Amino acid sequence: MSTELTMTLEVFRYHPETDHEPRFQAYEVPYDEDWVVLDALNWIKDHVDGSLTHRWSCRMGVCGSCGMMVNGDPKLTCAVFLKDYYPRPIKVEPLVNFPVERDLVVSLDGFMDKLEAVKPYIIRDDVNDTSGGEYLQSPAELAQYKQYSMCINCMLCYAACPVAGHEDEFLGPAALALGHRYNKDSRDQGQAERLDVMLVGEAIWGCTFVGECTVVCPKHVDPAGAIQQAKAVGAQEFFKRFVAPKGAGV
Amino acid sequence: MSGQFHRPHAWAWFLERPGYVRFMVRELTSFFVAGYLIVLLVTLGRLGGGEAAFAEWLSALSGPGWMLAHVVALIAAVWHSITWFAAVPQAMPVYLGEKKLPAPLAAVVMGYGPWLTVTAGIVWWVLR
Amino acid sequence: MKRSDEAFWWALFSAGGVMAALFVPAFVLVTGFLLPAGGDGAVAAERTTQFAAAVGWWPVKLALLGVLALSFVHCGHRIRHTLMDLGLRRYSGLLKVPCYGGALAATVWAALLLWRV
Ligand code: SF4
Ligand code: FES
Repeated sequence: MSTELTMTLEVFRYHPETDHEPRFQAYEVPYDEDWVVLDALNWIKDHVDGSLTHRWSCRMGVCGSCGMMVNGDPKLTCAVFLKDYYPRPIKVEPLVNFPVERDLVVSLDGFMDKLEAVKPYIIRDDVNDTSGGEYLQSPAELAQYKQYSMCINCMLCYAACPVAGHEDEFLGPAALALGHRYNKDSRDQGQAERLDVMLVGEAIWGCTFVGECTVVCPKHVDPAGAIQQAKAVGAQEFFKRFVAPKGAGV
Repeated sequence: MSGQFHRPHAWAWFLERPGYVRFMVRELTSFFVAGYLIVLLVTLGRLGGGEAAFAEWLSALSGPGWMLAHVVALIAAVWHSITWFAAVPQAMPVYLGEKKLPAPLAAVVMGYGPWLTVTAGIVWWVLR
Repeated sequence: MKRSDEAFWWALFSAGGVMAALFVPAFVLVTGFLLPAGGDGAVAAERTTQFAAAVGWWPVKLALLGVLALSFVHCGHRIRHTLMDLGLRRYSGLLKVPCYGGALAATVWAALLLWRV
């Protein structure tokens, strides 16, 4: 066992009841080619320090709960391998642009409010009327929004976005992409309601298309593209007011 | 009972990721393009001021300082064009049924193609 | 809550971004290099004539004014947002005055100059 390879994880620690400031703690972990960063964190929790707190669930990139900063990059820790960093040490921190609750766990409250704000569900006037059968959708109509429906709410895009960090009114990449996803859904009739949320203040307009959300997104959602398209819809609606009188059903 | 930890904001946040630096460079092109456009207005003003005024202005522009300034302006303007065309397929995707027009093709059709045509046309007119 | 008027500025910013991307490099080539590099002789005179002929034709004047106006708003909007991103977020409303006001002033100036050409 003495020949076992190891590597160092420098982990952000913060326990609000005892710590005024966060600190970094270095752990020596076994090096295994097949391990992801999350495996190493779980090993620390199981074998060295049970007080280490972090979130995870699926271990396969679908639940979106294991997002952390790995050497400064927002990553799903179940999807980044130790071997990509070995033998250099790996620094693990909670996602930036979110308040830290404890160790690697950030508060989801603000993010959840923003997701909810864009009404991420199909809105219809005839919601209780199923007499016409299911709402049919062609593959071409599905293609219009499919990419934007792949989001797993991992919040990596918020950690990559400077505007999300600086502007509280900004709804942020995932929430705006999700709003746009429903606006583009041929079965939906709720665009006007959603735009009333998205086009207010800095909610969408705070975005200056830095584009890093799209770079870090593990699901290739391209929130940056979705946001620009949603802005264009907002601009069209703005000018439509002058063409068609209010309530003309446009 | 103590609360959550809020990270302090760095003033120089734009140095934190290479992507932020690229973003800032892209945004800063607008300062140089604006500066150039003001100089262009001066050029148009001199043109309206008659042949002698214009010739005098052109000989001033041929000095090393103005040449350097225009080299910088050209780099900024070209960088604006390149980054703008890179963004077009993201902001205005073209769907052909279920398929999206591939980004490089869309950039050529909606960006580089018209750009080269316009540039070649204008340069040809002046050199003709 | 009321929808923001930012939609208007963003639309002009985008249109101006397209205009600046398509035209400004060519403008720089012409007025920054081709015209000044013509020297004092016949080459310069010929290029100046060509340039003046184009700019003096009213459809070109109008098109040029459009390109310039949109490009000015493009720059003004981007400068405003860059300043906001650099920490002046609080003054987003106030920044509209120099940024869009400047674009408007430059447009009026351009119109007067083109009128005279
Ligand atoms: S858009 Fe991408 S990065 Fe953002 S929360 Fe969704 S999956 Fe994560
Ligand atoms: S643990 Fe579910 S995405 Fe990583």
